[in-house]
Amino acid sequence: MEHTSLAHHLILAGLLFALGLTGVLVRRNLLVVYMCLELMLAAATLALVAFSRFNHTMDGAVLVFFVITVAAAEVAVGLALIVALYRKRGTVQSDALTTLRD
Amino acid sequence: MPSDLTSLVHWMLFLPLGAAAFSALFLRRAGRTAAWLATATAFTIAGLALKVLWAGGNVSWHIELAKLGGVSLGFGYLIDPQASLMLFVVSFVAAWIHLFSVGYMQDDPARGRYFAGLSIFMFAILGIVVADNLLMTFIFWELVGFSSYLLIAHYFDKDFAAAASKKAFIANRIGDLGFILGIALCLSLYGTLDFVALQQHALAAKTIPVALGALLMCGFLGKSAQFPLHVWLTDAMAGPTPVSALIHAATMVAAGVYFMARVSFLLAPEVLQFIAVSGAGMAALAGFCALAQTDIKKSLAYSTLAHLGIMGCAIGLGRPDLALLHMTMHAFFKATLFLGAGSVIHGCHHQQDMLKMGGLLKKMPLTSAAFIAATLSNCAVPFLAGWYSKEAIIEAAFHGGHFAIFAFLALAALATCLYSGRMIRLVFLGEANSEEAAKAHESPWTMTLPLVILGLIFSVLGGLFAYALLPAAALRPITKALHEVAFHLTAPATIVGLLSLLLGLGGALKFYGTMRGADALQVLAPRTYHLLEHRWMDGVYRWYIDQVQRRVSEFIAFLDLLLINGVAVRWLGAGVPAVLGYLTGRTFHRGQTRAYALWVVVGTLLMAWFLLAR
Repeated sequence: MEHTSLAHHLILAGLLFALGLTGVLVRRNLLVVYMCLELMLAAATLALVAFSRFNHTMDGAVLVFFVITVAAAEVAVGLALIVALYRKRGTVQSDALTTLRD
Repeated sequence: MPSDLTSLVHWMLFLPLGAAAFSALFLRRAGRTAAWLATATAFTIAGLALKVLWAGGNVSWHIELAKLGGVSLGFGYLIDPQASLMLFVVSFVAAWIHLFSVGYMQDDPARGRYFAGLSIFMFAILGIVVADNLLMTFIFWELVGFSSYLLIAHYFDKDFAAAASKKAFIANRIGDLGFILGIALCLSLYGTLDFVALQQHALAAKTIPVALGALLMCGFLGKSAQFPLHVWLTDAMAGPTPVSALIHAATMVAAGVYFMARVSFLLAPEVLQFIAVSGAGMAALAGFCALAQTDIKKSLAYSTLAHLGIMGCAIGLGRPDLALLHMTMHAFFKATLFLGAGSVIHGCHHQQDMLKMGGLLKKMPLTSAAFIAATLSNCAVPFLAGWYSKEAIIEAAFHGGHFAIFAFLALAALATCLYSGRMIRLVFLGEANSEEAAKAHESPWTMTLPLVILGLIFSVLGGLFAYALLPAAALRPITKALHEVAFHLTAPATIVGLLSLLLGLGGALKFYGTMRGADALQVLAPRTYHLLEHRWMDGVYRWYIDQVQRRVSEFIAFLDLLLINGVAVRWLGAGVPAVLGYLTGRTFHRGQTRAYALWVVVGTLLMAWFLLAR
């Protein structure tokens, strides 16, 4: 534990976040995009926990509980949407979904 | 025990609100229960008001509701002897009117709504009386406007009632516009709306701006139906008769007078002068107009206008104490007159035309006795209630050196006696002039009891009661006035009073006895009669609205069409987005989810840069 500092945690969280963001921007499969979004959320929670740990307050940890709860609810809705989308259109490739433009 | 009195005032103010809410929510179909609930509430309030009056009537209580900048907006009570007297008069008269309504409205299907309306009206008027600052006064002032609208429009399925309520509401709004501007001016001049603080400012300042008094006066012109906003009052008779008694005789119109008395220190001499002259002028005009109405309620409405003019005149003469005294006495006898008219209308099977009545003295003895007693009080027969105040005001006008005002008031006194004599002659003496009048019957006790109390006791003995029963502190505003009234045969006011009694009452009784079922004046002098019917004032307003206001608004509508609808909405509002939409449609909106996500990221980064770089 002595070898890790807040900066280490934040760099890890930043890397995770960047990874997720890149995934969101470059991947076409909505399911994967969705997983990348979750990765970004996880990065944010990691940063929160780190702040909580190094500032000796519970605020960040408490916030993480809320984030996890909301994320769980969000997954339920999001996955259901993706499933519904697949049933209706037969694809979950984001580039194929351009109805609003046309 | 000031804190004790404060809680009494809390009860007084919020009991009727509670009763109104309860009736409106739960008793819409239980008219009988609602009626007795409202009546019990009203009598409780009257009892509490009596207690406050007896205790010397000084309450001061305030809580701050909001603080905006340096301005504190609050809710509070400021009760001085004047206010406690007003509280008592309003609640006492209103209580009997409630009881009267129980009988008068017993066949009405919408009794729940009616009595809820009465209760909310009580809440509003008591709020004005106890208010300790201008803003609170204004809020309750508007509530009074709203509740009177509700009550006048009780028969809302009748066109004339709906129109009358709208007219009352609009005329009051016009006055209230001036009122709220006055409040704003007051705030910018003195930085406070509190009556006590304002009084100190006013006493410290050498001169008060004319505009301030003039703007505050606008509220009074509307609410107390002063010229030129008086037109709503006579139409407001479209409501049920007890409403006319409550609102348009005893309390609502008195609110304006009371308010003027309360802020009299803010009125510049020029404003007072205007109020005095226009009040006296209206008193004379309305008095004669009452001669040319065949509807008994309308005739009484003009009588109310005349008395409001007299009260306004007293305020203008710098004697708000006399105005309040007259308001008190007027509340007693005018409430009786309206309730008496209600009883007559009820007895004659909803016949309101005086020419079709007659000979009711034998058929409705109690009603007739109360009505005639109140009429005599109205004519200022010496030592009856109305005499004390009216005589004092005429005397004050004479000694104030305002000859024109004195002359107008003398004419008003004569007119009062004339229309009173006409009313007695047409309604109660002679023979019945229609089948309804022939089959008239006396009303039930709920209606005659208030008549006896208010008419036979208070309209007659009001002055004596003021001497004998009121504690000294509460009496202070009026003892000064009462002591001025002495029965000197040589005093100008007494001469005027006795002469007009003799000529007016005697002449009218004789003159209107000459023809049966017709108005003698209308037959002999149709043109004068037509002029006195007072339709021309509505004509003036119609001309103004058609010829002036409509053109102005049409011009403004044209500007609206051109500038706002045309330039702003059609060109800028629709054109700019169309162009932008075309451009962005080519660049951003390609329908690619990933592109949108990229723009979200770019936007977020830009926002972060903008927020952090500073």
